[in-house]
Amino acid sequence: MKKITDFLRWTPWQVKLSMLVMGLGQLCYGQIMKGLFYLTSFGVILTYFIYRGFSDIIGFFTLGTREENLWLGIPGDNSLTMLILGLFAIFILIFAVVLYITNVKDAVFTARQLQAGKPIRKFRQTLQTAADEKFHMTALAAPVVGVTIFSILPIVFMILIAFTDLGGEVVYPKLANWSFAAWKKIMSLGKIGGTFVKILGWNILWAVVSTALNFVIGLGMALLLNKRNVKGSKFWRAFPVLAYAIPGFISMVGFKFMFSQSGPINYYLDEAGLMRIFFLTNDASAKWWARGIGLFVNAWITTPSIMLMTTGILSNINTDLYEAAALDGASGFAQFRKITLPFVIFSTTPVLISQFVGNFNNFGIFFFLRDGVISNYADYFLASDTDLLINWLYKLSVDNNYYSIGAAISLIIFVITAVLSLAVYVRSAAYKQEDTYQ
Amino acid sequence: MKKKTISVRRGLDHVFTYTALIIMAGIFLFPCLWLILASFSKTGSLYDFKGFFPQAFSFQTFIDLFTDDVNGLYPYKTWFFNTLYVAVCSSCLGTVLVLLTAYVMSRFRFKGRDGMKKTTLVLGMFPGFMGMTAVYIIMTQLGLINKLESLIFFYAATTPVNYMVQKGYFDSIPNTIFEAARLDGATNLEVFTKITLPLSKPMVVYTMLTQFAWPWSDVLLPKLLLKDRDMWTVAVGLFNLPETHFARFAAGSVFIAIPIVILYFCLVKHIVNGLTAGSVKG
Repeated sequence: MKKITDFLRWTPWQVKLSMLVMGLGQLCYGQIMKGLFYLTSFGVILTYFIYRGFSDIIGFFTLGTREENLWLGIPGDNSLTMLILGLFAIFILIFAVVLYITNVKDAVFTARQLQAGKPIRKFRQTLQTAADEKFHMTALAAPVVGVTIFSILPIVFMILIAFTDLGGEVVYPKLANWSFAAWKKIMSLGKIGGTFVKILGWNILWAVVSTALNFVIGLGMALLLNKRNVKGSKFWRAFPVLAYAIPGFISMVGFKFMFSQSGPINYYLDEAGLMRIFFLTNDASAKWWARGIGLFVNAWITTPSIMLMTTGILSNINTDLYEAAALDGASGFAQFRKITLPFVIFSTTPVLISQFVGNFNNFGIFFFLRDGVISNYADYFLASDTDLLINWLYKLSVDNNYYSIGAAISLIIFVITAVLSLAVYVRSAAYKQEDTYQ
Repeated sequence: MKKKTISVRRGLDHVFTYTALIIMAGIFLFPCLWLILASFSKTGSLYDFKGFFPQAFSFQTFIDLFTDDVNGLYPYKTWFFNTLYVAVCSSCLGTVLVLLTAYVMSRFRFKGRDGMKKTTLVLGMFPGFMGMTAVYIIMTQLGLINKLESLIFFYAATTPVNYMVQKGYFDSIPNTIFEAARLDGATNLEVFTKITLPLSKPMVVYTMLTQFAWPWSDVLLPKLLLKDRDMWTVAVGLFNLPETHFARFAAGSVFIAIPIVILYFCLVKHIVNGLTAGSVKG
């Protein structure tokens, strides 16, 4: 308390002016450009809050109070839009507070300069500081703003929406409320809860199997290409790299055509006098076919990158180790088991786990292979029996406007991925040694 | 005697190795070959194929791709230039943003840096469309629905989250170079533009190209944000082609895949570095 009164007693009137209206103090110190910058920001933010921001923030808490009435011609509140605009207003408010603090700090800085008998900073000097001592802040300004608006804001919005009853029946013009309805639905034994359990089980199975499969095949290919008797390994390596280079969606849609009802595979089955198989079509018999094809296509797309990665790692192994092992009479397989495998597994653990996270959230595979398939026969709610949580989330929230349930699921996915990725990050040697590295 | 068994074993090993190599090559090559063949088929529909092979070949599909848009249903030419526009703009903007972020995160130690690192790490683990509903509403509020600029803003603005590869590269530049420049009186901005960027040309090229390639293969976001067929990007368009236009899909895919594949082959070294950066440097 005493500090504050001391501070207020010490501050010159210019600083007090700046505390009242941003930029005024700077103007009185003769820092015209800087003063005008703060003053216009102040004006813009103030007008924004008077005209929109303030009511937007209130709207954030009420989520709309006026339902549309077509008879009386009353336009209604749209809860979804109000939620995001309110959130935006809160972000602006935080930004305004930060700007205000820098403004006061700046005025205090100038006052101290004067006290110490130094000249006031000119605008050119300010620019120079921005390009030099404060380069990191200047450089990060645009990226931070962009990421905040297009990445953080949507995600915070998603988290909040999980705690409303928006979506399903409750869409515009109906008004929404804050509630835990979505969580109750997922945790209950109803159709939604049942679908969630089934999909979660398959999702975990998929992530484990596909990660293991891709890793084994990728490592196998790398070892094959690394064999001493392979001539022209660059030539052979080109084939997987080709598969890696083709945009993923082309490969996936291509495979969809290949396994389609009238596609080439079924054509040959027909020719051979066999029944056509429902590979990816909406049919109960397609379940394991489609899952298998998904694993195969995912391996086709991902193994080349794992191959490239493990090749890089293999080339880092000290060849002396192998020579020593050979002298001791170790067989090729023993060398692989005792030297190669531990080394590769040790140095790829972070990648392996990020692969696991990637596969857990592998949206593309079943989105492209089984576009629009919904398995009602097996009592799935707006999902197919191959869908992962992430596909279900898409069908719920983007295709069918089940916002709050979709958001709750995305939160569950988030918790799983965040726990895994932070665990990896903190454990990774790179994080621990970052400062010793340079 | 012993020598003979060794040479037999070696021969078997050779046979085994090369069979495996040929199988591997076949598995990866065949689907690509199939698509290329299909793009030269005379009749466009998947139903007219004899298994993997078209009945007759012609170059017509490629010409049709650009001249005949089937009454405005499949205007590939428009899609192509839409995508090119988005790709060029978002590549330029995104590269600047991500390089700045990576450089600062690599060279500077400041308050909030650790928090930022953790935030970006978690954000990067989110699939891009987690907040898609929100992105849609934001774009509506900004009046950018059905406009290509919405894609440019989104792609460019969200790239700094994935700055790790570039940071790894900047980390590998010896600190002494920067210190010498600072001693000579260069400002941090000058160090960045006059020393760091020229030293990191391969990284700049790599970043620009990966940024450039992304809009060609993203389906989700353009599908959500672009309503009119005339505004679509190539990926959305190709995704919406039915089986009866299979040859058109194949031709359109081959047409955009070839430049991207060539790029990848030229850049394979950088890509390997980028991939392993995750495992070694974090």
